[in-house]
Amino acid sequence: MAECLRQDMPPSGGYKPIYYKRIPAKTYFNGPALILGYFGITAGSCYLYYLNYASIQREELERRSAQFALYPLLLAERDREYMKQLRRNRDAEEDLMKNVKGWEVGTYYGKPIYRTVPKDTLIEPSYGEYYVHADYKDFAKRRHLAYWS
Amino acid sequence: MSLSPYFRSPFTDLTGSLISHQWYGRCADMELKVLDCLEAYGVDKGRRKCEDLIADFQECAGRKIRDKRVIEMREERERQCKDGERTKENSYIPVKTHGY
Repeated sequence: MAECLRQDMPPSGGYKPIYYKRIPAKTYFNGPALILGYFGITAGSCYLYYLNYASIQREELERRSAQFALYPLLLAERDREYMKQLRRNRDAEEDLMKNVKGWEVGTYYGKPIYRTVPKDTLIEPSYGEYYVHADYKDFAKRRHLAYWS
Repeated sequence: MSLSPYFRSPFTDLTGSLISHQWYGRCADMELKVLDCLEAYGVDKGRRKCEDLIADFQECAGRKIRDKRVIEMREERERQCKDGERTKENSYIPVKTHGY
């Protein structure tokens, strides 16, 4: 047993010196190159941004022109539909109230809405009047359109 | 505020003219006509002379005759539907959404 117990000793000639010197990371750019690179990349990005901005402006211009061109058409269609609906409303009222005694179309039992305006004046109906012969679904649809858009 | 013949103070004089239909268009014309007429005849005579103009202006602002018409038509339609004079198909007319 005495041969097996041996003290672990340093290697002959001693340990190697402990290596503690700092190893700096490898540098690719120095300070001025970094600053110049920053300016260069920013300039390139600005140019790309300008290209994108100009293209967006062109697209918006085109879209706006299309809207301006379409607007009178849509407005005229809406007005046309409005007038047609006024006629349909009048006919519906005539049909609805034909059995009511003393009722005249466009008046309240022969009493006109306005006394002094000429007979051929267009009296624009309110929202409830416009939809008075319509189903509630149509009424609500128009109202939701106004509220949600 | 239109309290002036009965209750008049510097504040009613100051605020009486603030709100009018001249701010928004629908009844501006009728209101001007009424005021012109009342200015010409005064309050007491104007009430008789400008009766039609005043009634028109009140109708424009309050829409009472119109509302009565709408209620009357709605009640007639409900009555006809209840009595079976109208079927489900012809009880309403279609209205397009983008017309009004």
